[in-house]
This record gives sequence, structure tokens and C-alpha cells, in this order.
Amino acid sequence: MDDADKFKWTTRPTRAVALRYGLALLSVTAALGLARVFAYFHLPQSFGTFALSAIAITFWYAGTAPGVLAAVLSSLVRDYLFEPNTSIESRLLFDLVFLVFAVLMTRVARVRNQLELRVAERTAELTQLNESLKQEIAEHNRVEAALRLSEAYLAEAQRLSHTGSWAWSPPPGDIRYWSEECYRVQGFDPKRGQPPYEVFFQTIHPDDRARVAEVIERAVDEKKDFKFDYRIVHPSGEIREALSVGHPVLDPSGDLVEYVGTIIDVTERRQAEKERERLREAQADLAHASRMTTMGELTASLAHEVNQPIAAAVTGASTCVRWLTRDSPDIVEAREAALGAVRNGKRAADIINRIRSLSRKGGSQRQLVDINEVVLEIVALIRNEAQRHSISISTDLGEALPKVMADSLQIQQVIMNLIMNSIDAMKDVDQPRVISIRSQSAEDQHLTISVSDTGVGLPPQQADKVFDAFFTTKSHGIGLGLRISRTIVESHDGRLWATPNTPRGASFYFTLPTKVASAE
Amino acid sequence: MSPRAESKFVAIVDDDDSVRDTLQGLLKSVGFSSRVFESAEQFLGSGHYHDTACLITDIRMPGMSGLELQARLNAEHCRIPTIFITAHGDEEMRFQALRAGAVEFLPKPFDDEILVESVRAALDR
Repeated sequence: MDDADKFKWTTRPTRAVALRYGLALLSVTAALGLARVFAYFHLPQSFGTFALSAIAITFWYAGTAPGVLAAVLSSLVRDYLFEPNTSIESRLLFDLVFLVFAVLMTRVARVRNQLELRVAERTAELTQLNESLKQEIAEHNRVEAALRLSEAYLAEAQRLSHTGSWAWSPPPGDIRYWSEECYRVQGFDPKRGQPPYEVFFQTIHPDDRARVAEVIERAVDEKKDFKFDYRIVHPSGEIREALSVGHPVLDPSGDLVEYVGTIIDVTERRQAEKERERLREAQADLAHASRMTTMGELTASLAHEVNQPIAAAVTGASTCVRWLTRDSPDIVEAREAALGAVRNGKRAADIINRIRSLSRKGGSQRQLVDINEVVLEIVALIRNEAQRHSISISTDLGEALPKVMADSLQIQQVIMNLIMNSIDAMKDVDQPRVISIRSQSAEDQHLTISVSDTGVGLPPQQADKVFDAFFTTKSHGIGLGLRISRTIVESHDGRLWATPNTPRGASFYFTLPTKVASAE
Repeated sequence: MSPRAESKFVAIVDDDDSVRDTLQGLLKSVGFSSRVFESAEQFLGSGHYHDTACLITDIRMPGMSGLELQARLNAEHCRIPTIFITAHGDEEMRFQALRAGAVEFLPKPFDDEILVESVRAALDR
């Protein structure tokens, strides 16, 4: 039995086996019946013809073994029912015919089975292929849907961020790809298709064209990235500001294939930047005005601060002259006096410089600042003002504090405002009048600086009100000092707040981050 | 210079050490001995003020002011010739000081010649 037969036998159920052998019996019986009927009517058909048909049918439908059974049965029926008296040679001849026919049918059945098997295999392959194709189509549809969604998101993102993307083959090439947003930013109608490069170039403001052309030309020559600002003149005449960035794509041999990049409409961003700059300038002006107001209040004290070393320098110089003009000049004493005069002259110059730096008007200049130095500089300038009101200033400054990244002028202004507030709060209270200034490291990489006084304290139930603009309890103030101080501290990522003291007075605290400084 | 002046000294009271030192240097250049004090309280507490022939004092200082020091000395009938030097001087203050017996009231920076002559006059009293 070959593989095909084996396959057929082993795959058919037991019931089917019975049916197959039954078909052999049935077909031979049918051949017998038909031969009898034909014989009854004296028709010229022998049993052999019907038997061959029965054998063929059995082989075809029931397989080899039932076919052989049909051949054997046919031979027996013919020998014993139709030709019982024939010679042995005649019987053997018929048996040989049945046998040859059976052998032929066996081969036919085998070929058919092989064909069936191949058809089945091919069908299975096709079914599998069909399934794969279905899956591929489903995957393709899914990817296509995801791609469409992604494209939609990208288009929406481009629209929201006013950023268009493009691809352009270098001169004399054309624009290869323009996203929808490119059309909007550049002021083109998408229905008219991708514009030629020359048409795109014509939309650039005439004053910017030469510069843009130069930037692009240089980038293409060097196969480098480019980035340039330019203005776009829309068909309506509206002028927009844009930023274009391009990146070269090179083939494996290093030749330039194309540029890909973006066009960003930065009109609103630039306007916002200008507004922010104007706001910063206004804040700086206000802070400067506030500082000058405070300096005005300090005029008498500052004059005294400058006057002291000048007086000492003048006296020292006079003393020097006296030592030199004596009958017997004393050079050593004269030199000592002259050195003292120089020292005091420098001290006066230092104080004037400090006052001048406080008076200067300028933008924010951040640098690493020693907060204790800032405190001591301000205290040196204000101490005399405090003394005028019988107020003593004590300092308790932490050692080895990390530096902070800050604008020292602005931080000086904050400390000056807080000390001046404390002086104002203590002018009319009984003794003792003490201002305590502390600096220390706090948690979360911050420094805390506090200014405490024994003055009238904060307004009841509204401690934070003192930071509102135009809130003041003074007869001469305009109520901006603390507001400006809080703005300054917050612009340094710090916090400024106030708490009442017991039994009287107030403490103002502010924090400054040291994280930036320590990272360097 | 009288013998009395030679045994006594000039007291300089000022909270600014540069002013104290330069004043002492000036007086030394003209042959006057002096002692320096950084506050009115330190001067009063030194126990030397009865030996002081002349007092040069700042007006505005932490704690007791120069005018309060003068009043305190007057109250104790300790009539030391006093020269005020100040960077904050106004006419009212000047009048108040001179009325209380000050021999001179000099705004900073002052003319060293006037100061020296005032001290000399005080020591020659």
C-alpha cells in the first residue's frame, strides 16, 4: 500500500469501511440483476460487461480492496451462475480479464487518490494563502488607518504650532513636498498645488530675499544645516514673521539629495516676546524709580556715609602737610598720614560706587552672588540711617553659604526695602529698636534671608496685604516697595513672606535657590 | 602752652575709627596728646574725663549723642571745652551746642587750622 492509500485508509472512519465493502457487494449484485433482466428480455449483453462496470464503480468510489472484492465476486458469480459449463480455459481467461481490469482500476484509483491528495494539499495551501492575504489586507487596513490618524494628528499639530514641513531638492530643483501648514504660513492656496521654488521665493519680503538666498546658497555649498528668520508678504499685503530650518539629506557617497525642514510662523511669538520685553522694561523702570525714591529718603544718611571718609582723608592730608612743613620734617609720620588719607579716599570712592551701582538702571544681570556680601553692603549704606532713628542693626550670617545665581542689584533692592520698612516701623515705638538680619541654608537647596524688627508689626489679619501694590501704612510711601520686592524674589524662583513677631514687630523672609549655583 | 595743658589731654569721641585716628594724628602733629573713645558711654565710663582738657566729639553716634554727652557733663558741672564735629550739622543744632557751652561747631570735612586753633585756645584756658 502506498502513502496515498495509507492516507486514505487511516483517515476514513470505520463506518465508511463497511459502506465501501458494501458497495462492492451491492455493485456486483446490481450487475447480476441487470444481467438477469437483459437475459430475460434476450438482450445482447453479457454479465461480464456489467461486472466490469461494477468493478470500475467499486474501485472508483470505494477504493482498491473493495474493488478487488468486487472483481473476485464478479468472477465467482460469472463462473457459477452464468457459465457453469464452460471450459476451464474460458473461465481462466475471464478471470484473467477481471484481474487485469482490477489491476488497471487499482492504478487508476491510485492516480485518482494522488490527484485528490494533491488537490487537497493545494487547496490547503490556497486556503492558507488566502488567510494570509486576508490578514495582510487587515494589517494593511489597520496600518493605513493608523497612518491616516497619525497624519491627521500631525497636520493638527502643525496647524496648532504654525509649523509646516517641506522637502526641497537643491538648485535648480523644485519643492518636493509641502505640508498643508506650509501653504497657510506662506500664504498659498493649496488648490493650486505645490508652488515652484521661484514662486515661493517671491513671497519673501524684498528686504530679506538677498540675505535668505545667501544663507541657503552657503548651506548648500557646504552641505550644512541652515536656519534663518524672514518676513513673508501674504497676497493680502499682511506681513508675517517666519523661521525656517533646513537639514541636508546625503546619499551614501555624500552627495546632497535634498533638504528637509520646517517653516514656523513666529509672528505671534515675536509679538509676545516684544510685549514681555516691554513688560520687563516697565518693571525695571518701576524698580529703578522705587530704588531712587528710597535713595532719596536716604540722602542725608548717604551724604554722611560719604562725608566721613572724605573728612578723614582731608584731615589726614592736612596732617601730612603739617609733618612736612615743620622745622624738622618728619617723613615717617607724614607718610603714615598720607597713607591714611589715601585709604580714606578709597573708602569714599567705594561708597560712592556702591551708591552709583544702586542708582544705575539696567536689565537683569544674573551671576553667582555671595548673599552675605550683598547684605553687608546694604547694611553699610543704611546703618547711619538706622542710627539717625536710634535703631541698631545686628547681623547673623551663616558661614560657608553656597552662592546664588542672582542679580545682586535686585537682591540689594529687596534687602534695602525690607530694612527701610523695618526702620519706618520702628521710628515711633519705644526702645529697644533692633533690626536683626539672618542668612542661613534652608531645605530644598534654598537660602533663607530674614529681616526682623521690633516695630509696629503687620496689619492684623492681613499680613499678606502688605505685598499688595499701593498698600501702605506710611505717610510718605506709595506702597510699591514690598510688591516690587516680591516680584524680584519670585523672578529668582524664590518666595517672600512675612510673619508677626512676639511681643511686637514683624519678620520678613525670602528664599533664593542655590541649585543653579551648586550645579556649576 | 600752659603747664596745666601739658598734664591734660584731648579726648576724641567718634564712632568712626578713621575719623578718630586721623584726628589723633592731626593733634599729634601739633604736639597735643589725645585719647580716643568710640562712644560717649566709653568716654564717661573711662573715669578720665576729669583729666580732659578739651573734648572733640561727633554729634550723631549709636547710643548717646554728642549733645547728650555735653548735657551730661554740664549736669555734673564738668565744664570741658567741647568742640563738635558733625556731618549732619544744621543751624539749629549749632545754636543748641553753642548755647550749651561748646567752643566750636565744625561741619565735616573741617578746616584743620580752625580745629587746631580751637583746641589750642581750649587748652590755654
